[in-house]
Amino acid sequence: MLHINNLSKKFGKKPILQSISFSVRQGEIIGLVGENGAGKSTLLNILATIQKPSDGNISLNELTYEKDRKDIRKQIGFVPQDIAIWDEFTVEENMIFFEKLAWRRKDKSELKQLCLDMELNKWGEPVKRLSGGMKRKLNLAISLIHDPELLLLDEPTVGIDLKSRKEIGNYLKRQAFHQKKLIIYTSHDMDEINNLCDRVICIGDDPFYKNLLMDMGKDVISF
Amino acid sequence: MMNVLKTRLIHWRKQVFPLLFWLLLPIIAVILLIQAANAIQADSKVPVGLVVEENTQFAKDLAASIKQTPFIRVYETTEEDAKLKLEQHELDSAFVIKEGYEDNVRKGSRNRLVTSYKSDLSFAYTPVSEMIISYVQQDTGRSKAAHTVKALSDNYSPDQQWSWEEVVTKSKEVEAEESLLHTTFTFADSAKEDEENEITILNTWGLWAVFSILSTLLLFDWVIRENRKSLIPRFTFIRFSYKNYFVLNTLLYTILLFLFDLAAVISFNLFLNEPFAMNIWVLLTYRLMLNAGAFLLALCFNNIYLFYSASFALTLFFGILSGAVIPIEGLTQRFQWLEYVNPLDAFLSGRNSSLWLAVLLFIFALWYVRKEKSDASH
Ligand SMILES: Nc1ncnc2c1ncn2[C@@H]1O[C@H](COP(=O)(O)OP(=O)(O)O)[C@@H](O)[C@H]1O
Ligand SMILES: [Mg+2]
Repeated sequence: MLHINNLSKKFGKKPILQSISFSVRQGEIIGLVGENGAGKSTLLNILATIQKPSDGNISLNELTYEKDRKDIRKQIGFVPQDIAIWDEFTVEENMIFFEKLAWRRKDKSELKQLCLDMELNKWGEPVKRLSGGMKRKLNLAISLIHDPELLLLDEPTVGIDLKSRKEIGNYLKRQAFHQKKLIIYTSHDMDEINNLCDRVICIGDDPFYKNLLMDMGKDVISF
Repeated sequence: MMNVLKTRLIHWRKQVFPLLFWLLLPIIAVILLIQAANAIQADSKVPVGLVVEENTQFAKDLAASIKQTPFIRVYETTEEDAKLKLEQHELDSAFVIKEGYEDNVRKGSRNRLVTSYKSDLSFAYTPVSEMIISYVQQDTGRSKAAHTVKALSDNYSPDQQWSWEEVVTKSKEVEAEESLLHTTFTFADSAKEDEENEITILNTWGLWAVFSILSTLLLFDWVIRENRKSLIPRFTFIRFSYKNYFVLNTLLYTILLFLFDLAAVISFNLFLNEPFAMNIWVLLTYRLMLNAGAFLLALCFNNIYLFYSASFALTLFFGILSGAVIPIEGLTQRFQWLEYVNPLDAFLSGRNSSLWLAVLLFIFALWYVRKEKSDASH
């Protein structure tokens, strides 16, 4: 279980997130929506321990973000908004590079399988020659090498073809359903959000997304 | 550490050729430059023919002194061959130590001890012959003195007999002692003069030190190429923090580069007959100083081409400042502090580069701690 209780974030005097509270259960996919600049990335960064909240507390299972940052980090798979891979390497070299530095060991066949699971089948291909969708898949695969329990994905499907988008979505669904992972991810694609998410967190003042999703019959929490 | 090495190997495999090129550059460039300089120097020596007709110690000693003269290269040959080569201008001039040299010296005869040949193109004939005459005069003078001493001792202390040979030997002993004193004196004066009067214009380790600055700086471009903003978030979720990754890789580069430094010691011994005199600590502290400096400098740059330009400029600057390329002794004598400021000075004068290393490690530590804090404050 991930518990977020009364979380706030200010940059200087400017409040970005205010009194956010919600919980995520094992196997649940949570969508995070809001207009640009609403604070989606900031919230994901805080949940990923990359930034600290101004107020409030967060806990994952028995671990609290205050005290157990190091241990919590081992449980987190964070997929950055900007693609974070070595573009001079092949898919294989990228996977092996990050496996060597990862918290959990995986052999080559396991790494290859991880890529195949999300239909990334260009094992020996240099990243330079991959399509945008393939790069996004690799960006995701690298974040999952250490089998994290909590997946935080910042716009994992932005700007890629529909087929790759579907494949990533299906992969996330399987991860939640079979592996009982907790998944929080942001997207501007409301059809995708509607298909994938069990619940939606809507942040920001603009009621546009909230109304849209309510009309789709989604369970929406807004802050 | 093994795992970091494995990630490093993935990078290195992608750039085997530039990597090897820059690792080997200091060694190969120094060997080529020194050998080229030696070749030019050998070419600029005047070829002189020498014919030794007589097989006595006196004649051999004279031949040996002629051979030791700087700036001439002696070809021992026959009189016929010497004349032929002189005609073909392969020799500048030729000198024949005639049969009967020792006899004539003993008799005090100063005529026709040495015959000389020259051609119309001999430009070094006069100085070389003057020099040979001075050697011969040394011999005849010594002989004459021996005769005088013998005569004196015969006259005044007939019971204490000095033979001509004894006086000559004694005289040579005295000369040798004096020369010894003379050599010790020049040795103390100009720190490094080769035994065989071989004047080297280029200093092997000085050149190496300068080439190493360049190659180290250029090899540390990995810091800029791998310092990518987009990759920073990844390091939060792996076993190594971003800075630890950089520190460990700097360590790996240090090991690699130090191995090549040791290879330089061996190569210079093999190819340049450089003695195994390099102190391992001097070499190691110099290496650590270079790497710490290169790492910190690379951290200041985002643009790799700007960094390359700065690397070349810095190398040129330090090369000139150190006097390793152009001697600037006058300058360092006038401004003593230049020696302390110059990071190459310690290495070039065989001391540990401790001062600069300490300064750089301090800045390195500041960087390490400062980053740690800004991470935590997020
Ligand atoms: N480090 C920071 N310092 C100051 N302001 C920031 C910082 N990071 C983000 N912001 C501001 O916080 C707001 C939310 O940003 P972000 O979380 O990236 O929004 P979103 O991902 O929803 O588009 C923006 O107005 C942005 O300018
Ligand atoms: Mg964002």
